[in-house]
Formats: sequence, C-alpha cells, structure tokens
Amino acid sequence: MVEAEVEDKRITLKEAVKLVSDGSHLFWGGFGFQRPPMAFAHELVRQKKRNLTIYTCGSEVDIDILSGARVVSRFEIAFYAIEGIGLVPNIQRRIREGSIEIEDYSNLAMALRFLGGALGVPFMPLKSMLGTDLLAKHRFRKDKAKVIDCPFTGEKVVLVPSVNPDFSIVHACRVDKEGNAQIDGTRGEDIEGARAGKKTIVLAEEIVDSSVIRAQPDQTVIPNIYVSHVVECPWGSYPMMVYNYYDYDMEHVRMYYDMCQTEEGWQKYCEEYITGVDSHMEFLQKIGVERLLKLKAKKPFGY
Amino acid sequence: MVEAKKHAKPGEYSTLELMAACGSRAIRDREVVFVGTGLPMVASLLAKRMHAKNAKIVYEAGFIDSNAKDIALSIADSRLAYRASAAVGLIETLGLLLQGGHCDVGFVGAAQIDEYGNLNTTYIGDFDKPKVRLPGSGGGNDIVSSAKRIVVIMKHEKRKFVKKLDYVTSPGYIDGPDARKRVGLKGGGPVLVVTDLCQMGFDDKTKKLKLLTVHPGITAVQVVENVSCDLIVDGHVPETEPPTIEELNLLRAIDPTGIYIPKPNKK
Repeated sequence: MVEAEVEDKRITLKEAVKLVSDGSHLFWGGFGFQRPPMAFAHELVRQKKRNLTIYTCGSEVDIDILSGARVVSRFEIAFYAIEGIGLVPNIQRRIREGSIEIEDYSNLAMALRFLGGALGVPFMPLKSMLGTDLLAKHRFRKDKAKVIDCPFTGEKVVLVPSVNPDFSIVHACRVDKEGNAQIDGTRGEDIEGARAGKKTIVLAEEIVDSSVIRAQPDQTVIPNIYVSHVVECPWGSYPMMVYNYYDYDMEHVRMYYDMCQTEEGWQKYCEEYITGVDSHMEFLQKIGVERLLKLKAKKPFGY
Repeated sequence: MVEAKKHAKPGEYSTLELMAACGSRAIRDREVVFVGTGLPMVASLLAKRMHAKNAKIVYEAGFIDSNAKDIALSIADSRLAYRASAAVGLIETLGLLLQGGHCDVGFVGAAQIDEYGNLNTTYIGDFDKPKVRLPGSGGGNDIVSSAKRIVVIMKHEKRKFVKKLDYVTSPGYIDGPDARKRVGLKGGGPVLVVTDLCQMGFDDKTKKLKLLTVHPGITAVQVVENVSCDLIVDGHVPETEPPTIEELNLLRAIDPTGIYIPKPNKK
C-alpha cells in the first residue's frame, strides 16, 4: 500500500494576514483571557488592515488593540473588558469618536450564530434576550434578532441570524500540517466558530507530527476538513494565556491598560510593541526569554 | 452537640467580607451555580467550604464543577480548570446546561438596577451617544434569563438604583409579576440583591424591590436615602447576620492576597 502524501497547509503569519483584505468579516477565536489570536492581531496592525468586522463572544486586550489601531470598524459581540482591571480603553475612545459601531448580543446568542453558520442553516432559536434592549435596540443590523411564536408549541422564541464570516481565526494548542487541531482546556466558542468561516486559519502553539494527533484523535476539536491554512505561532496569545502552555502576564496587561488611558500612551505602546517590531518573533525577543519562561505552565495545573 | 455559631464583632470584618458571606448563604447544597469572577466567585467558594460542599460551580467559559485552588482573574482563566469535572465550551455551559434547565442559581453584578430587578451592564448615558461603554451582556443576559433564581451583588449608590435603566441588558421582572412569563422567559428571576448597605428581595405580589435586612450599623432610612427608585420597607427590618469567625477564616484563606477582598488595614 502506498501512503498518500498529506497536504501541507502551513504558511507564515505574515502570509496568513495578507490573505485578509480590507473590509473582511472575521470570526475571532479565544474567549476572555484564554487563547486570543494576539499575534494575528499585531500582524493585522502592522499590515495596516482597515474596516474589518469582528464576530466573537468576548475578547479583551486583543480587540482593544485592533480598535486602537483603527483596524476594526464594527463588532458583533457580547462582552469586552479587561477582566480584573477595568474597561477597554481604546474601544471606549473609538466609540466616543464614532469610528467604531457595536451590535450587542449575549454570549449564547453569538455562540449559536456561529453554530448556525457551521450547520448551514440561516438562523438559530434561543430563550435569551427576551424582554430586554438586546432585543429592542439595534445599532446597524436591522435584522439583529426576531421573536416568533414557535410553529409547533406557540412558545415565544428569539431567532438570531447565523454568521458565515470570510475568515475564522482560531489559536489552538497543537495542530499538524494538514490542519487537525487540538485545544486543551476550555474551547469557548471555537469549535463552532472554526466551522462557520468561509476560510479557517488555525494558528497554534506548536505544529506536531500527524502521528501525535492520530494517537489521540478524541482530542481533535477541529478536523482538517474545515481548515484552509495552518500557522505555527508559539506564545501567540501572550500576554494572555494558553492552558497547558503559559499563564498571563498581568504586569504587561496592567502596563497596557495604564498606557492606553490616553491616546498618546496608546500610540507609544503601539509603536514600542507592535509597529516598532518587524515580526512576532521580534516582539517575543523584546519581551525576553526570562520573562516568558517564568510564565510557562506548570504540571499538573496547566498555568 | 452542635456548637453555637460564633459571630465576628463589628470592626473585625470588612463590608466586602459581609457581602461574600451573604452571597455564600444564598447557595444551597447540591445546587448548580453559575458565577462570574470577583465577589460571586469568592462567595461560591466559601459556600463550598461551608454548608454547600456538593454545590457544583460552573463558569460560562466552559468549566464545569470547578474546584479552583487559586483566585482567577478571568472567567476563562486556566485556574478554573483545576479539578473541574469537565472543560468544554459555551454551547455546553450556556446552551445545554443553562438553557436546558440545569442551573439552580446564577450570580451576577450590575452597574444599574431598577425596582423590578432589571439590570444594566452595557451603557451609561443615551444609547445613541453613550457616556460610558460597559462590558456588555457577556453571559449575563443568558444566565438571568434561564437560571431558576438569580442573586445580584453590587455596590450601593443612589445613581445605581434607578427608576429607568439607561439600557436593559438582563431581565428582572420587567414591568410586573407576570411579565417574565408573558415575554417567554424560562428562568425564575432575581430573588436577592446584596449591596454594601443591605440585602433586598422582591415583594411577592408586585415583584418590586423590598428591603430584607440592613447591615450592622446601617439604618433602613439610610438605605432608602440611597436609592432613586421605589423600595418597599415593610415594618421592622432585621439586621444582616454578621459573618461567623469560621466564614471569615475561610474567606481569608480563599483570597489570601486580597485580590477581590482587600485586607483591612491593621491598626
């Protein structure tokens, strides 16, 4: 028997970001402090992408950076803050300027919109949002949500439109070159989100041989069928966390938050850590080996 | 023989410690509890060490029956995976588990609340020209919509207890006793509001805010002076039970560095 040669979907971070044209719609993976595609956000800023729409449940420093750098103009989202510290400073400023618009949903509503997109159905029903302004008020989506009487039982149900963004961006733990990805710890809404995009880019802490994936196939949460491109991206969520890989760097996050209280401070941060470096590797070098190693996850805790 | 509970004396505990104790007592054994980070997390961890050892704490990011040993900063914090029974995702926690009807009690915070227990965590100011953009619903609306009962923990300020919310993020009793049913909500709604001055519940008949207990040293008049909405005060209002010595010792062990409950200044 001749073994088929597996497709190699690996590209660089720079190449992956080049695929995203201005005005694209993105599913944005990770949840809160866990596995945000931070390195991808930095590269979107370096390549000066504009006018993106981001769909996600909840994100923090990553989408605040994208807002500060004017990469994103619209969010369809449920939550953003810098948990444990405060409100997202850049998004706050951009809203006041009127350069960012937000359509608010609940977390379940957003997760179901991704599931609907992944399932290939136009909407999903849910029992949240009823009796609130999440239902009564919309910003830019006239078709934000609808209440219907269930055709079978007459019960009131909210329908939310499914999403099929141009790209799904997900930061995983391990992936092989074919695109079979494994995520340790919580998966947030990444399982559904990774299947909703027209193209899915999986970044991962490490690229492993297919034999590693196939030795524990039950751990694979995104099979290669859904994946267009694979990017090796160690420490790709720094200064946030990846379960089993590294903890967050709260000192850096705090510094980010403090600097971003003013536009000048944000510009300084951006120049120092994002546009002033050429690549993700150069960014990591700037942070320094010693600091990164201190954050490495300890067994059996995963942080 | 059961030993009588030893309560801490005024000055031996902080208001935040009292609030955490109040939150903890709202959880019963074997219940499934949805909590966020901050004070609700500390309160639920206390309940698990006190009277509700078999309560199951769920964090919406995907952690089920979490037994975290370290204080977490984020709802998706890896610390919450420690000795959890499952680490899954949002469709499981907020969809299958919560909307599926398995959540007994949800703990939430709010920037504003009205007399029917509706909550705002989205905007302060006008929707079209907001003064402050708050974090938004997150899973808050989902939890308040579908949990069997809701406990709200928030800071007590006159401008936070309002007649009309700037934005309704999560549903209390909306505009009266039958409203939740009318709009199609499954969950039971808020039953307890814990603040730094008092504990409030909701009147059975009208579903409007009602004063339940005042914290030691606080009067009912002070509470009424610190709300901008209607508040039912029915006869004599008892004092909130102070934290016990056992509760205090456990609380200080749960949050040893004072991340959510800062250490009182030693005199």
